[in-house]
Amino acid sequence: MTDEQAPVTTLTTGEIAAGGPAVSQPEPRRGRTVPEVAALVLFLVGEIVFFSIKSPYFLDRDNWFNILTAIAIFGIIAAPATLLLVAGQFDLSVGSGTAFCGVIMAYVAGNQAGSLGEATSLGVFLVLLAGLGIGVINGFFVTVVGVNALITTLGMLAVLRGLAQVIAEGQTLFLGTFSGLGQGRIAAAPFDVPVSAVILVGVLALFWFVMRYTVYGRSMYAIGANPLAARLSGVRSKRLIFLGFLLSGLCTAIGGLILVSEVGAAASGTAALGYELQVVTAVILGGASLAGGRGTILGTALGLLIIGVLNNGLNLLSVDAFWQQVAQGTLLIAAVSFDQLRIRVTAR
Amino acid sequence: MNSGFRLEARGIRKSFGGVEVLHGVDLAAAGGSVLALLGENGAGKSTLVKIIAGDYHADEGEIQVGDEVHSSLDPVTARRLGIRMIFQEMADAPALSIAENISLGRWPGRRGLVRWREVRRRAERVLDELGADLDPDRLVSSLRIGERQVVEIARALSDEARCLILDEPTAALSAQEVDRLFTFIERLRDRGVVLVYITHRLDEVRQIADFVQVLRDGNVVLYGKVGDLERRELVSAMVGRAIEEVQRPAPRTWELGKTPVLRFKGASSEDAFRDVDLDVYPGEVVALYGKVGSGTAEVAEVAFGIRRLSAGSLELDGRARSFRGPGQAIDAGVGLLPADRQREGAFMVRSVAENISVPSWPRLAKLKLLISARTEGLAYRRWHDALGIRSRNDPRQPIGTLSGGNQQKVMLGRWLERRSHALLLVEPTRGVDVGARQEIYRSIRRLGSEGVGILIPTSDYEEVVQVADRAAVMARGRIVAMLGGDAISTEQLIEAAGG
Repeated sequence: MTDEQAPVTTLTTGEIAAGGPAVSQPEPRRGRTVPEVAALVLFLVGEIVFFSIKSPYFLDRDNWFNILTAIAIFGIIAAPATLLLVAGQFDLSVGSGTAFCGVIMAYVAGNQAGSLGEATSLGVFLVLLAGLGIGVINGFFVTVVGVNALITTLGMLAVLRGLAQVIAEGQTLFLGTFSGLGQGRIAAAPFDVPVSAVILVGVLALFWFVMRYTVYGRSMYAIGANPLAARLSGVRSKRLIFLGFLLSGLCTAIGGLILVSEVGAAASGTAALGYELQVVTAVILGGASLAGGRGTILGTALGLLIIGVLNNGLNLLSVDAFWQQVAQGTLLIAAVSFDQLRIRVTAR
Repeated sequence: MNSGFRLEARGIRKSFGGVEVLHGVDLAAAGGSVLALLGENGAGKSTLVKIIAGDYHADEGEIQVGDEVHSSLDPVTARRLGIRMIFQEMADAPALSIAENISLGRWPGRRGLVRWREVRRRAERVLDELGADLDPDRLVSSLRIGERQVVEIARALSDEARCLILDEPTAALSAQEVDRLFTFIERLRDRGVVLVYITHRLDEVRQIADFVQVLRDGNVVLYGKVGDLERRELVSAMVGRAIEEVQRPAPRTWELGKTPVLRFKGASSEDAFRDVDLDVYPGEVVALYGKVGSGTAEVAEVAFGIRRLSAGSLELDGRARSFRGPGQAIDAGVGLLPADRQREGAFMVRSVAENISVPSWPRLAKLKLLISARTEGLAYRRWHDALGIRSRNDPRQPIGTLSGGNQQKVMLGRWLERRSHALLLVEPTRGVDVGARQEIYRSIRRLGSEGVGILIPTSDYEEVVQVADRAAVMARGRIVAMLGGDAISTEQLIEAAGG
């Protein structure tokens, strides 16, 4: 051991009661460590440079809105997914949930007699309720019954897809009267930004704040890092995880609304198919640990952008959509391998 | 007794990331003898034996096993040469039976088919040889930790181990299991096996080892026959300075409070303990001494809301309480330092600041909602100096990168930041090196002087002598003796606990 015997300061009487000794150096020392997201930023910049050289349209403002709208739905779901994964939990029911919510919207708003406005508001209300319901069911089985989250939500994945098809009788339900959310733009100068992109940024910002600055968010990190220690530190793990699933359900509902609005229809069998994996890909790419305790919204946002830019760029270059899947999968494995290397290098 | 077989390592050097941790270390052990390898955490013991077992490659030096000399070993060669290592963390397969574990990776068979009768016979033979009374068909997951260790030894033995390295094998064992383990070790010694025994318990060295080698900061600082060395010499070789060992704390200069912080009255909990009567007054440090399994930790669990009483009562600050969970106990001012820091205490991947703040978040948060890294950093800084935590002085440093002793100080700081006035410190210095141990004891005494009531369930009698005002001794779930003042000595404690 090279360090000297540290001087043991003596506490004076009353300091314990006063909450400990006075603090001499209040400013935390700034570290020189490379932030974990540096590699992601670098990769994203590389992608952007590459595609902007290859395609004249890439840097267009409208193209960037395309990218944002393309990642809006699963980005909105990825925010609570990050929160859950940080606490060591998964929600695989989000893809089917999105389709289920979309079908409910199309079914209710499409079949409702009465004024258009009433039908739409009733639909939105019921969809949000459905989203919360999904969250309650997931949360109940995970926290009260104690079923593993992976299994619970895998079951719900099948249940919700099935129910969506039952409601729509396996068909695609059309809804032409609800386009504002998915196709609309906020016209205020100087930009006319797509509504869905604004919602995406809003949701991400909200979760960023929650995870960074609220007791709730920090508690979720503690639960994921060591569930037993969290309990012994007085963290009420079950109700916090329950709330996490509730948020996931709510964001799924928002995703479903945007989807049905964007497409003008809800295909009960194929809508939002595989979104749960897209979401997990983005979150893991963003540096969250499957073991829990690590992960940030900033990372997830970068993961989303990397995937969005990649797909968009390959589209502009007219690369086959099938190859895009190959690229995305390769990217995930490469990113996680790189992270493993980084850990091994810094651990030495 | 001497089989003539020898294990030697000469001039071993090893660096990690540019920092040399072994500076040319020698080790020599003869068959038919036990060599104890002593040293504080970080002295290089584990690195040295991992090089011998082939887990790490030495940068310099050579290893001689019998007649073969190697500049470095890999795990396969080490196995071939008969070197086996038994780790603190079990490397067995809990879902398989004892017999299967003993033959793990070396299935007796023909043309790819396992001969189960031979698997069983092999297990019976080796367990018999060890005198271990275990049914080979039992699942390893159903065994106690001491029994699992015996299975590991049996596995090494059936594999013709000529050199067995044991890394702190008694850390989790009860006294009886330790005795049984020592019998096995003696039997192996008599068969001419080389035994290297890593420990930091000095009494064990005397009990089991023939030779002792002390490592400090990557150098050999002492080597000799156990019989020729004084206990004091070993301690000062380990620590590098003479410390007063097993000394009673300075007499209390402060008054105790009037109402007990904690009071158990006729408390019983299922099979764990019965009829426990115990008080802890504000300002008092009370040890609850007992061997592993005697019920000491379970008493603390009741006061923290993890365990319910089946009879009797618990009072906190004079009020009868029955906590339904740790949350309620924490709110009432109780703090618990768990015995297993890694599993129950620390958030290994999170920062030290966060580790200290978790239970205090409700108080530290603005509007009971918002918490910032800055607030947590301040909380950490409050205790960094007061507890002598040695770290980079960066609140964002992950706690996993600190040494065991410093992690434990952070765990203690967690409850100080929470301003808990009833502390339950279970095995507070387990896995903590000698130097940090003394600092933790000083901190505990100082907390006593501040009026905190402290209960220390522990199986380490030296700890009791060094820190407690009063000691209750437990055996088989009952309090069998109450010692105070100078009556607290290692002899008295061991005798009261039933030897």
